[in-house]
Amino acid sequence: MPSHILNGVFNAINMGLIVVDQEYKVLLWNDWVFKHTHIRQTDVVGHKLSGVFSEPLSTMFLNAIKNTLAYGMPTVLSNALHRSPLPLYDLSVCADQKTRIHQAITISPILSPQGEKYCIIQITDPTTSIKREKMLRSHSEILKREAVTDALTGLYNRRFFDEHYALTFHNAMRQQHCLTIFMVDIDFFKDFNDYYGHLCGDEILKAVAQTLKGKLLRAGDVIARFGGEEFALILPNLPVGQAESYAEKLKDAVFDLAIPHCNSPLFKVTISIGVCTGVPSAEYDILGKADAALYLAKQQGRNRCVALAL
Amino acid sequence: MLSEIQLDALAEIFNVGAGRAASSISEIIHDEVKLSVPSIEFKTSAEISPEALSLNHGRFGTVRQDFSGSFDAVAMLLFSEDNALEIVRDMMGSQMSLDDLAEFEQEAMCELGNIILNACLSAMADMLSISLDSSLPDYKIASCDDILHAIAHNAGQDYILVLNIVLTSAKRQTEGQLILLLSSASLTNLIQHIDGLVSGI
Amino acid sequence: MAKKLLIVDDSKVSRMLIRAQILAVHPEWVISDASSGEESIALIEQDQPDYCMMDINMPGILGTDAAEKILEKHPSIRMVIFSANIQETHQSRAKAMGLAFVAKPVSEKSIALALDYFQCGN
Repeated sequence: MPSHILNGVFNAINMGLIVVDQEYKVLLWNDWVFKHTHIRQTDVVGHKLSGVFSEPLSTMFLNAIKNTLAYGMPTVLSNALHRSPLPLYDLSVCADQKTRIHQAITISPILSPQGEKYCIIQITDPTTSIKREKMLRSHSEILKREAVTDALTGLYNRRFFDEHYALTFHNAMRQQHCLTIFMVDIDFFKDFNDYYGHLCGDEILKAVAQTLKGKLLRAGDVIARFGGEEFALILPNLPVGQAESYAEKLKDAVFDLAIPHCNSPLFKVTISIGVCTGVPSAEYDILGKADAALYLAKQQGRNRCVALAL
Repeated sequence: MLSEIQLDALAEIFNVGAGRAASSISEIIHDEVKLSVPSIEFKTSAEISPEALSLNHGRFGTVRQDFSGSFDAVAMLLFSEDNALEIVRDMMGSQMSLDDLAEFEQEAMCELGNIILNACLSAMADMLSISLDSSLPDYKIASCDDILHAIAHNAGQDYILVLNIVLTSAKRQTEGQLILLLSSASLTNLIQHIDGLVSGI
Repeated sequence: MAKKLLIVDDSKVSRMLIRAQILAVHPEWVISDASSGEESIALIEQDQPDYCMMDINMPGILGTDAAEKILEKHPSIRMVIFSANIQETHQSRAKAMGLAFVAKPVSEKSIALALDYFQCGN
């Protein structure tokens, strides 16, 4: 390709290109770089890169060039970790910009057939790709959120719970942390539905869900709708000895809602809770134990908590 | 496959590489970090399993660079996805939300991998008096199966050098793996250069 | 007069390379070595070296900690911290103790720097 066409290509390209030789002297300085510095190629060719800007260059940038020239391995300077290593500005609106543009820089070695070493510095402004990525992600996140949410209560669904349980179980096992599982069931729910109708039943599910969710303590705590009128809570870091008193609080909170239920011996909506807590290992079924505890709570008369040790 | 003295020489090479990488990382995070290589093992591709690579069954952030020159090698750095995010969070040094972090994960991990791989391979170039070229780093999230698949399908790369690495900062200790895939010709070549270094004694 | 040097490094290859490079310049020197900080503290009493080259990262105590202990009892030993751990904190700790810091790897150049310090003090 003739050199004037090649020059056209360099200048048409929508990224900054600077080529320096072994002595850091500039050989190429394309239009993109001019646009972001207002320094002309003719004024910098043959001059050392460190001297052409009016501001000093960061040692990390200079070391990157040094290493690329010395070892012939490409170096990346990410926007995430360096933000704006070079004094480049968006001068299209205002010629006196004080804020540097964001930059992602790649420095690659070039070896001439004669064995001379050069390096090409490629500069992009990642702002637009960051925005695009953000949009794509927020879209996929909405889809993801729908896939893991129970439509009626807004809690996580069973599918999410199963995945999350497997993960927290594994983490607790690996880090030898305590893990606590609460299984919660609304007492006499079928009788409630039979008497008040399913639409009222849905309202009860929502109210209990919100009440239980409001009692979560830490960011890592998770509550999910486990099935019909059953909920499950995973608390990874509940201090030892606090599981039972926490369960009592959950039970009292629902009792205090004082929702009438004329088919219940207490004439109120109540819940039963099974708890299992401990440091898990592969052979323990902490979820099964919590479920067994819930069964005991039902047997022992409901509106109560039963804890089983792991 | 390698004698004790050859392995000791390799350990020293990676020790120097890790020291250089740690120095670059500490410049970025403005804090001291320690990067150590507690173990080096050679395996054949037939011996490769999740256990042999000490990989658990999760997802990994992987940075890959292909090196060529005095010998050819595919180098991969692996951190579990959780660990990768934590490292990026520490390196960015601010109270970032997980959302914002994920955005930077790719490029920050790419740079971290680039720092560690370049430092280790340049230490090798220095100490074995060889020269190596490299591709740009490529970051991918991969499952353990993806990684084993990639290793199995690197035709001709029959030998695998597995280095366990530990990155320790003031806040946490993170373990990862550095893997070098070598053909038998490249391995022979590498061993020759190591012997060259050791014979100077 | 032949000088005595103690090399402290957990890598056998490193110890051998340092020894070979130094003997190439000073064949008359008497060189002993230790593979940990603890071992070096014991050996110092026995060997009474003039010079010492000390790695930092070794199993057991850090080389810089061993250096501190040795200098308490033997302030006249000239010591170089010779390590791959080139972070500023370690370099400045070495300098604060009045020691020279030389970055690994073992090469003609790095060994020349260490020898310079041993013999001229800079």
